[in-house]
Amino acid sequence: MTRYSRLTFTKLLISVLIGIAILIVTMLVCSLVGTKTISIKNLLSPNLSTIDAEIFYKIRLPKILLASIVGAALAVSGAVLQAILKNPLADPYILGISSGAGVGAMFASVTGLQFVFLGKSPIAIFAFIGAFATVWLVWTIGSLADKRSSNGLLLTGVVINTFFSAITMFMIAIAKSLTVHSTMIWLMGNISPENSTTITTMAILTVIATAVLIRLGPSLNLISFSSAQAKTIGIDVSRVRFLAFLITAFITSIAVSLSGLIGFVGLIVPHAVRLVWGADHRKLLPITAIAGAIFMVIADTVARTIVSPAQLPVGVLTALIGGPFFIVLLIRNSKRQNLL
Amino acid sequence: MIDAITVSNLDFSYGEEQILSSLEFNVRKGEFLAIAGPNGAGKSSLLNLLTRTIKPSKGNIALMGRDIRDYNRLDMAKTVSIVRQDFSAAFGFNVYETVMMARTAFFNVLGFESSLDRDIVENALEATNVAHLANRDLNEISTGERQRVFIARALAQETPIILLDEPTSFLDLKHQVEIYDLLKQMQLESSKTIVTVTHDINLSGQYCDKVLLLGYRDSFYLGDIESVFEKNKIAEIFSVRGLSTQINGRYIFLTDAKHSNRGQSNT
Repeated sequence: MTRYSRLTFTKLLISVLIGIAILIVTMLVCSLVGTKTISIKNLLSPNLSTIDAEIFYKIRLPKILLASIVGAALAVSGAVLQAILKNPLADPYILGISSGAGVGAMFASVTGLQFVFLGKSPIAIFAFIGAFATVWLVWTIGSLADKRSSNGLLLTGVVINTFFSAITMFMIAIAKSLTVHSTMIWLMGNISPENSTTITTMAILTVIATAVLIRLGPSLNLISFSSAQAKTIGIDVSRVRFLAFLITAFITSIAVSLSGLIGFVGLIVPHAVRLVWGADHRKLLPITAIAGAIFMVIADTVARTIVSPAQLPVGVLTALIGGPFFIVLLIRNSKRQNLL
Repeated sequence: MIDAITVSNLDFSYGEEQILSSLEFNVRKGEFLAIAGPNGAGKSSLLNLLTRTIKPSKGNIALMGRDIRDYNRLDMAKTVSIVRQDFSAAFGFNVYETVMMARTAFFNVLGFESSLDRDIVENALEATNVAHLANRDLNEISTGERQRVFIARALAQETPIILLDEPTSFLDLKHQVEIYDLLKQMQLESSKTIVTVTHDINLSGQYCDKVLLLGYRDSFYLGDIESVFEKNKIAEIFSVRGLSTQINGRYIFLTDAKHSNRGQSNT
């Protein structure tokens, strides 16, 4: 009698709880490390006005919470987009989010807009609008171009990305260098401490989005396999794709508006998780979210300690790790396809 | 008795090109139909029309006596399943997960399978003799084994009608025979209606009850094995020269070649 390794809801719940426990431990450890090492003893003392407590609660913890949320959002979005585009090399930025955010941020910076909305700067607001609007454009054009496969979407994303990057370059060329420089640094990806309202809102949105995406998991399994097959098995493919796409575009755009462009998290993490835990999205998505959060917390900690007291943009660090990883993946993937 | 599949007056165009014209045929419940014909005659399109993946320009298709336009998505999934050729190795699903996908539309509120779904999947794995591969990655098994896994998935969908698009291409002789034996077993033991597109009319002819020869535009022929081979319809539909013969009660069709060691170029 063959033993089948089946996935059950209980098994999944236990894995997720273990994952969350590991995440919390990682967050605590990482928030103690930094230019100034914080001792737990000082944090637990009744006197919360110590310098350690100040740094911990006002700077490190918000930064690390935000890092974990952004990491989870990007990683989950990457996994979902890889499934609906049926392309293991897709990442959350492939559909124009990065260039859209770039144009938005540059526009705000070049025109010198000054206002505060929901506690956010014009750069962040316009980055969000740019990102979300661009994804929408890519979806509309891509669906018109090729209704039956995801290649239309993918190609449109590539073309729009190039086109909007050119617009960003154009704005850089005509703008004053000082404002442009700070926007460029912002775009490189930075986790800066946010207020608790922003963090709570973002956390709730990410958790709800992830939960909905996990529920779409069985359908995503089929769609990543074959859309035509998914239809004959009784899945409303266009509805699932649209919903999954909308949710990922939304949380990625928010992540980008909060932290700039942090590349490769959405590419590497889903892959690493898939290698270890398999391709079933019901399991892949929650574990990817947790792994993305852990990865980002560690990356952010390294970014702010490696050249201490200066800080590296975390996006630079993830790209430095992600670049070589991507190439290994590409070679491995092409080898696998040659075998068939 | 109601037919499993009734196609009447069916037209289908791909862009400007008319692929199918006034196609008429029926498959009775529990019958095994082979569809053969030259490339581009619309064999795969016909399967897609039967699963409602594409729409005809004219005509009617009924499954189990009911027009397919009256089916909702779930009823359709309960009536007809299809084994396709397309397989991309992009993501590493294992055999068990692949077969379980057939049950997706019936998962519970949380998106998980019931114990009934598990029983169905395990039966399908055993019936197709791939149970021992259950935990293996789909990329790690042979083409023949993978084809059986896809047939297991169609079985697990528990539909009265199963369609297959060239299930034996890329397989060697032994594995081709294995697949046809399996299909025949599904027809006889589970009274499935089987429709398979094939390029190997000699092999499928030994298993199927009827053959639909699909030529270009409005040329087609539906008949039982004897009539298809005896009237030499194969030569006509494929526009090749050849002869049909019988060896030990089994029909075969042999093509004439212009240049071959023992060609019959005198005819």
